[in-house]
Amino acid sequence: MPIEKSDLLQGTLDMLVLKIVALGPVHGYGISLRIRQISKEVLQVQQGSLYPALHRLEKRGWLEADWGESEKGRQAKFYRLSTKGRKQLESEESNWNRLASAVASIMQTAQ
Amino acid sequence: MSWWKSLFPKRASDAQMNSELRFHIDELTDENIAAGMSPAEARRRATLEFGGHENFKEQVRDVYRIRFVDATLANLKSAFRFIRKSPTFSATVILTLALAIGANSAVFSAIDAILLKPLPFPDADQLVRVDQLDPKNPRPFHLVAPVRLEDWNRLNSTFQTLTGYYTEDVSETTGALPEKLTEALVAPRFLQVLGIAPSAGRDFTPEEEHNGGPNAILISDQFWRKRFAANPDAIGKKLRFDSSSYSIVGIMPPSFLFPNRDVDLWSPVPPDAPYSQDRKSAWYTVIGRLKPTTNLAQARANLATIQSELGQQFPETDAELAVTIEPLKEVTVAGSRRSLWILFGSVSLLLLIACTNIIALLLARSAQRQHEISVRFSMGAPRGAIVAQLLTETFILALLGSALGLLVANAASSVFRSLAGSLPRVEEIRLDTRIVLYSLACSVIVTILCGLFPAIRGTRRNLSQSLGQVSRSQVSARNPLQWLLVGIQVALAVTLLSGAGLLLRSFQELGRVTPGFDPSHILTFQISTGWGETGDLKRLRQRTDRIMETLRATPGVEAIAISVGVPGEPFKYQTEVELAEGRADSEPKLVADNRLVSASYFATMKLPLLAGETCRESEPPTVVVNRAFANSYFASSQAMGHHLVASILGYSGAAEIIGIAGDAREAGLEQPPVPTVYWCAPIAEPGTFFLVRTSNAPMSMAETIRRQIHEIEPLRSVFDFAPLEQHFSDGLAENRLRTILLSFFAATALSLACVGLYGTLSYSVNVRRREVGLRMALGALRGQIVKHFLFQGLFVCVMGCLAGWVLALASARVLAGLLYGISPTDIPTLSAVILLVLVVAAAASLIPAIRAARVDPMQVLRDE
Repeated sequence: MPIEKSDLLQGTLDMLVLKIVALGPVHGYGISLRIRQISKEVLQVQQGSLYPALHRLEKRGWLEADWGESEKGRQAKFYRLSTKGRKQLESEESNWNRLASAVASIMQTAQ
Repeated sequence: MSWWKSLFPKRASDAQMNSELRFHIDELTDENIAAGMSPAEARRRATLEFGGHENFKEQVRDVYRIRFVDATLANLKSAFRFIRKSPTFSATVILTLALAIGANSAVFSAIDAILLKPLPFPDADQLVRVDQLDPKNPRPFHLVAPVRLEDWNRLNSTFQTLTGYYTEDVSETTGALPEKLTEALVAPRFLQVLGIAPSAGRDFTPEEEHNGGPNAILISDQFWRKRFAANPDAIGKKLRFDSSSYSIVGIMPPSFLFPNRDVDLWSPVPPDAPYSQDRKSAWYTVIGRLKPTTNLAQARANLATIQSELGQQFPETDAELAVTIEPLKEVTVAGSRRSLWILFGSVSLLLLIACTNIIALLLARSAQRQHEISVRFSMGAPRGAIVAQLLTETFILALLGSALGLLVANAASSVFRSLAGSLPRVEEIRLDTRIVLYSLACSVIVTILCGLFPAIRGTRRNLSQSLGQVSRSQVSARNPLQWLLVGIQVALAVTLLSGAGLLLRSFQELGRVTPGFDPSHILTFQISTGWGETGDLKRLRQRTDRIMETLRATPGVEAIAISVGVPGEPFKYQTEVELAEGRADSEPKLVADNRLVSASYFATMKLPLLAGETCRESEPPTVVVNRAFANSYFASSQAMGHHLVASILGYSGAAEIIGIAGDAREAGLEQPPVPTVYWCAPIAEPGTFFLVRTSNAPMSMAETIRRQIHEIEPLRSVFDFAPLEQHFSDGLAENRLRTILLSFFAATALSLACVGLYGTLSYSVNVRRREVGLRMALGALRGQIVKHFLFQGLFVCVMGCLAGWVLALASARVLAGLLYGISPTDIPTLSAVILLVLVVAAAASLIPAIRAARVDPMQVLRDE
């Protein structure tokens, strides 16, 4: 069953977006596509959350954006990770890992 | 990215947002087509997935918009919470600012009204004063003959129009007793030049401005209220002066106070009257309104050409004359500019001291708030947001301070108005929107000046992270910055105090000056008379003699004299006098102050004669000169017997010098005696003062004298009763205003600096309680602790005093010329100021130092 935006942990979407963008410059459609593909259709990001998130991240200076041509020759806005964004991603990743392993160990102990 | 982009919040333009979304929908449509849908269906599904374009775009826009508004609201809320939570701190800051901004706004309101705002006439920058200057006979200094005024007005091409006026005191005799009124006699076009219309009634008609036309007057709003209780029926009523009656044709608006605030009525002088035709009798002060397209230089060139043409036409009277033109505002306010800017400078220093004080308070405060700030950092707040929050707090404090300051300014400017009666345009000083805006600007500047630095310093990340641990383990919190601020305050206070000290000493010196005669027990007054009466000198003289004889016979009067102008107030009537015997060209010209007095002047004033005898009022004419005149122009007392020639009212022919009087300071106490010639002309022209030496208190004789004069001169009013000493004191009014205000500012500055010192030392004692406890536990004596803190405070003060001394010496130039009998770098004054500052500073340091010594070591160690 796909997990929708409201079920995503607060702040997780930002981290996912940063992670995808870290792989290389990509447009909004590409990000939603990748999240779907990589999560094997488990995570579905609604456009209504994705674009505000992208603009928020850009405003914070974690993402930078340029206009360019897509594979099909259409004009598209491509997002890149800034240096600041890379640092943010690192700290969020390590936080996430700590949280995930903590949650995992609690779940295991409780079983 | 270009640098400027970072200055502005990035705003996704709608167009860009649209194309970004369109791209996404296009891609989704392609994807749907690839999945096997029809193109129309594919598009519909793709669009649907966005759940409504507009709603969605709004969400993206919110990313940029709401943040700012939210943040500002949150900052305001937290600022008010902060102020509520620390009432003492907030009250200190608000009161300090209220005082400093209030004083600043009050002085600014005076500067604005007197120096900055245009005169209260439409297009006032077109108004100019036009003077005629005779290099040979500077008296009457700037006055212009009526017929010449008409020539200028007719011939020029640069003025819209020119007019002139003079004032005299008249007696209005429709009441039970004659009432003295001040009348401005004006040339045609007077209201036209000033651009003001009567608030009721009308301007003069051309017939009223012609010789033999109906007598008409305009009255002032003040006189209308006083005499007619503001009844509109006043128009058409008649007043009587000089046995003619005049109809009131109009009432001027309350703001119209030209030529001065005492004028009760205006009446026209016909330019075609026979007495107006003499090119030599000059009596008008001339003002003009320039054409909008001309400037001063063009007007000057234009009138110079016209005057030189008049000089060819009338070589005898006009050839030597030059014309000067100055802006009317400049002529009106130039004299008080320096005093006002000095006051503004000192009040700005005061604001600077207050700011320094507040910076110190905020620094101490932000050190106490480190915990709160580090918590906010750890919650992920960017530094900018915290700085914005701290600045909002300072701004709210500054705003409250300046609002309260406006109340202070309101009170202060009424004090200012009552103290500054001698300044021009004081009646125009009021609190208006300009002053409110100025206070607002002050609070913004204060916010930036005081708030920015502590906010930036308080939010240094390494500081905020480390402080959590430091505050417990630190032994000695040194805060050189706060001490530097205290030093600056002390230095500025010393500068202000030196200025005030010098002005006070100078005022004191003036009190010690003896005028050269005995001004006590002299009553002065005037009796109304018109310039027209000077046409018949013989009658005028008889009248003057009769008044003096009557008064001399009055019991309680010891002596009586007259003098044109009153001793003690500036009255310049300086001319070149010629020597009948001739004088070599190599010798200096004889320039002298002329004083027109009665022969009894010397005895009445107890002005000693050094040689010879008093001048006689009879022919052949004789004069007395003062010692300065005799010494500067003649070798050892050879002045006697020479003959002087000058055109003085009532004098004709050469007058022999038959006496030498002692030097007297008749032009005011601060004016050293200049070469003076006393012309004994017992003629009471307008502006003549009667001087009566009384056996009792001078003012107790006023009623008796008024009754005596009413008996012999029932149609004249007697006015301006005052003891002579009062005139001396009035002559120093502007000096006194300066001195009082600067002393007040300096005292405030000193108390602010002391509060700063006390606060900083208290804070330092607080932070170092642990260290003090530890020291005492290790055997330090209380005396040593007191000494330690006392010296810490005093050391900073000594440094501040040294800096202040240098500043005071550097700014001494500003005061030079305003001081009497004392050098602007007077060492005793500066030393006394520094001593005073050190004593007060020691007192302010002693309290926290003693409190430090009271620390209980056991208590402190237990707290660990």
